[in-house]
Amino acid sequence: MSSLLAASSADVPFPILSALVVTPFLGALLMLVLPNGRPEYFKQVAFLVSGAVAGMTAWVMVEFDKHTADEFQFVDSAEWIAGLGISWTLGLDGISLWLVVLTAALFPLTILAIEAEHTPKAYYAWLLLLEAGVMGVFLALDLFAFFVFFEIVLVPMYFLIGQWGHGARAYAATKFFVYTMFGSAFMLVGILATAFLTAAETGNAVSFDLVYLAEEQALATTTARWIFLSFAVAFAVKVPLFPVHTWLPDAHTNAPTAGSVILAGVMLKLGTYGLLRFGIYLFPEASVYFAPALVALGTIGIIYGAIAATMQKDLKRLVAYSSVAHLGFIVIGTFALNTEGLSGGLLQMVNHGISTGALFLLVGWIYDRRHTRLIAELGGLQKPAPVFAAVFMVVMLSSVGLPGLNGFVGEFLALLGAFAAHRWWAIVAATGVVIAALYLLWAYQRVFHGPAEGDNAEMKDLTWSEGAIMVPFLAAIFVMGLYPAPVLERMEPAVDALIEHIEGNVEDFDEADADQGEDLDVDDLKDLGKKKDSKATDESALVEGGAG
Amino acid sequence: MIAQLDSTVARPEITWDGLLPILTLGVGALLLVLFRSLMKQLPKAAADQAVPVIGGVTVIAMWVVGGFAGTDVPLAGLRDGLGDPVFFLGLLIMVGLGGWFAQYLRLSVDAALTVMIGLTSLAATWGVWTDRYEIDGAFGLVGDQLGADGFSLVITGVIASAIVLVALLLDDYLEREGMAGADMYVLMLFSGAGGAVMASANDLIVLFLALETLSIAVYVMAAMHMRRSESQEAGLKYFVLGAFSSAFLLYGIALTYGAVGSTNLIVIADFLEQNRLVEDGLLMAGMAMLLVGLGFKVAAAPFHAWTPDVYQGAPTPVVAFMASAVKAAGFAALVRVFVTTFADHADDWQPAVYALAILTLVVGSFMAIVQRDAKRMLAYSSISHAGFILVGVQAASNEGVSSVLFYAVAYTFLVIGSFGVLSIVSGEGDRGTSLDHLDGLSTRRPALALALTVFLLAQAGVPLTSGFVAKFAVIGAAVEARSYWLAIAAMVTAVVSAFLYLRIILSMYLGQAEDDAPTIRVPRAAGLAIIVALVITVGFGLVPGELDDITRDAIPVLIAAG
Amino acid sequence: MSDFLRSYLTVGIFGLIGVALVGVFLGLGKILRPNKPTLAKTEAYESGVEPTGDMWSQANIRYYVFALLFVMFDVEAVFIFPWATRLEAYGTFGLIEMAIFIFILLLGLLYAWRKGVLKWA
Repeated sequence: MSSLLAASSADVPFPILSALVVTPFLGALLMLVLPNGRPEYFKQVAFLVSGAVAGMTAWVMVEFDKHTADEFQFVDSAEWIAGLGISWTLGLDGISLWLVVLTAALFPLTILAIEAEHTPKAYYAWLLLLEAGVMGVFLALDLFAFFVFFEIVLVPMYFLIGQWGHGARAYAATKFFVYTMFGSAFMLVGILATAFLTAAETGNAVSFDLVYLAEEQALATTTARWIFLSFAVAFAVKVPLFPVHTWLPDAHTNAPTAGSVILAGVMLKLGTYGLLRFGIYLFPEASVYFAPALVALGTIGIIYGAIAATMQKDLKRLVAYSSVAHLGFIVIGTFALNTEGLSGGLLQMVNHGISTGALFLLVGWIYDRRHTRLIAELGGLQKPAPVFAAVFMVVMLSSVGLPGLNGFVGEFLALLGAFAAHRWWAIVAATGVVIAALYLLWAYQRVFHGPAEGDNAEMKDLTWSEGAIMVPFLAAIFVMGLYPAPVLERMEPAVDALIEHIEGNVEDFDEADADQGEDLDVDDLKDLGKKKDSKATDESALVEGGAG
Repeated sequence: MIAQLDSTVARPEITWDGLLPILTLGVGALLLVLFRSLMKQLPKAAADQAVPVIGGVTVIAMWVVGGFAGTDVPLAGLRDGLGDPVFFLGLLIMVGLGGWFAQYLRLSVDAALTVMIGLTSLAATWGVWTDRYEIDGAFGLVGDQLGADGFSLVITGVIASAIVLVALLLDDYLEREGMAGADMYVLMLFSGAGGAVMASANDLIVLFLALETLSIAVYVMAAMHMRRSESQEAGLKYFVLGAFSSAFLLYGIALTYGAVGSTNLIVIADFLEQNRLVEDGLLMAGMAMLLVGLGFKVAAAPFHAWTPDVYQGAPTPVVAFMASAVKAAGFAALVRVFVTTFADHADDWQPAVYALAILTLVVGSFMAIVQRDAKRMLAYSSISHAGFILVGVQAASNEGVSSVLFYAVAYTFLVIGSFGVLSIVSGEGDRGTSLDHLDGLSTRRPALALALTVFLLAQAGVPLTSGFVAKFAVIGAAVEARSYWLAIAAMVTAVVSAFLYLRIILSMYLGQAEDDAPTIRVPRAAGLAIIVALVITVGFGLVPGELDDITRDAIPVLIAAG
Repeated sequence: MSDFLRSYLTVGIFGLIGVALVGVFLGLGKILRPNKPTLAKTEAYESGVEPTGDMWSQANIRYYVFALLFVMFDVEAVFIFPWATRLEAYGTFGLIEMAIFIFILLLGLLYAWRKGVLKWA
């Protein structure tokens, strides 16, 4: 992660990363000028644009050099506001690669899966703008650019919830916007302080370049801690961490299905990704200093989210609270600050995007068919819709973290890392896994089992097209559960580089390694899912892993 | 002063070509009065003929005056230009386009003339900037009373642009309200000329005179809508409080004169640089009075009380002018007097501005969210924007000044766009300005709703709009001056304001229009003004580099007579 | 107290004496004069004409317009007098300046005239 500038834009014949951001943006503009007469075009064009982005991402994924995954690749840099040292710098390393892939995959699927309820033109335009913003966040290597993208995603999501949502959508949309903006308010001051203070300390010109600022580490310890806090507030709201999470259930419940899928699938990761890239990388010392607090908040989030989810009557709200819990795992993994934890957290970001995204999609389909999401009004859906039930089961088990499915690997690694670093918090957090199994299985039981009465008996099963959309999700769930190595081996170098970065900049930092100093062997992980007895509970797996 | 009487008074050094941006506005206003006095009623046919001609003349006037302002030998340039067939052809095409465009916009003669004057002034400003200021730096205009520096040029450009856009808005508005005539345009041009002088003033007395020229014209403009009692009330309120603030300002000037012995900013700055006042009570009192007086003009809390009533009552396009040009001129004076002249006493006035800024931000954003009337909301939001600009002033640095300029430029277009949409939507008599009238605008007029949404999001500081970059610059200046808490306070109040803008957006997109809601007619000229504002807002949001460079080059300086 | 402020002391004393004098003479009058109020004496004085109607009578708006126009040219004189005494020093430049000044004012008059403000009916 050290030599960003080595790979200048000259090495890349085509600014592929800029294209990833600009294509959906242009697509959104194109949407505005399309004639209103043929509404069916909107969806097709939106799908084509996001499909093109997915295609380009696939090319990036193939071309990505896993041996130098610790460096930013495809770097693409141009001056933006020269006077302020702001540049349009995009780059991709092992950390952002999979999030970009996730984003690129999720958008076309979402567009395909859900019809706009009304005004399709604006709906697809906002979705494409959202894709541009999310891509930008994951790719930006300039603090200004990052902030721009981080903020801009609010607008389309605000309109998606506000205009196409249900229930108290105005309230939910406004709450979502104001909460997130409140967090970013601090971050903006933090970003400016980082850039200006670094310039003052070093005597160099002001620059907002992430790599430069991170390598320079010019800030005094206390200052860096304050600034880290200002960043942490913004990301904590976005994640969301425990005390500032209240916008999430409202936003999810009232959002249209596509909004929920994107919100859970990629937008929550903006927060955790931000903590990783702009928290830990920029302020290693402050991250180490505040890690216990963040792990504590993450653990509270896990338990709180799990308990709250158990008590929900609304299926969508239940999934929303389960997100709070899952994101807690990501945070504790990340702030374990060791290879296992960081990789686990990172992997869990992707996994959560897949499984919760799919879960929201399925809940959305249930709502389309039954016009209710209340668990009490559903029941016995397994009989009329067996395929639907089976798919739901698989996705739900992946969310629970069943070994052999994708959710397990990430959660396991995150807990493993956290156990090494913060033993007691990890043990508390592990009970969250059990509760997750409880509320999800219980919800499944109430919705799909039992006698189907009234409208429930008539429910349509999964159609072929819906099934086709589910195929990529299921494939990802199984592949990443059984053979996560290709994903992990591209993450690992970047994660190791990050840890080296912390070690290099923080005196007496002691990486709490899960296996006594030895880095986790990728080969062990390749068949991690197979090796474990599927009957073993997650807790026993944890203890075994922890014991080494 | 007394001593001067005995000597022969020398004719002050006047740089005519550099004075062209201001002269165009002032003389244009005078000529418009003359023209309208001599030709009260133009025959219909003549009026129809005149508009395309004015459109064509605009192009030539911009070229000629812009050329005069820029170079010392314009005639040679003129001759060469006309000799070049390609250029000549191009000019002809441009003239034709200008004429066609004026016709297409269905402008009235008065509006067309005002647009012409505004555009010519803008061209002159551009000429002075590129051919004189960029090359030779700042220079004196009228002795040491007026100076042209980047700062004054940018503000003059802002004022000229505001005049053009507001004239486009006014055209249909005046027709609609049965107020057609040249009066409003003339007053606006006078006011603009006053503002431009204010931005270039190097003497407190000149500053005061310019401020009065600016203000008195605007008082009348606010009260122009004779059949609306709110408009009368607004005019009177603005007049009384404005006169009150002028008194403060004048008193401040007198006290400063008492402390320093001159009203000339150059002399004051030199004196304060070279001397340390043993007893600075008089100077402190003078600075305080000046701050109060200028604080009134820019609507900083606690001197903001007139703003909501006046903004709500005055004709909407006039409000657009007040919030853009008048405010920009006020901040220009504030920056020149405090940041540049009282630079050596920054430690004394910075805390006061700090407090004003916080108070203004808090009052502006919190009072705004309890309003029901969109115009009143925007009035309060303009107060909170003033607070943001004060944050830049408080930094008392070059970065601060640049950020103030950036904000002033960005906000000018934002606010003209916002009030422009409101002016169109509110219908006859400015009645429909409450939030209910915006209900369902997205289905009635999607383009207008989208435009207003962009303007409001920009005011909230959402990225990819000029509003964000402006906030970024201001907060950057504050952070660089180590005013962290001020920066955080500003950002947090921005979130509160965002809530307000979201309320307006919500009612546009989620509200249901009443069935008997009148259809909204979008006049071409006003539509053009909104499009221009929109393009600039988004353009400066995407590529702010150019404007950023300009504002960085535009640091105010005081020019001593040569 | 500084010398500068001390010199204002004179002004202050002068003001105080002024206020005191008014008080003294009004008080003196109160003591000395005979006090015999009648109804006729309490009436408002209107140049010897018997007052009629309400106190709050409306004046024609045109009075104000004329008053304004008067003030405009009255103030013009205030500027012209000092200028006239120094015309030699200013030379041609001063002449042109004043011509511009008067032209601008005349423009106002012309405008008012063409607007029909000067017509009294």
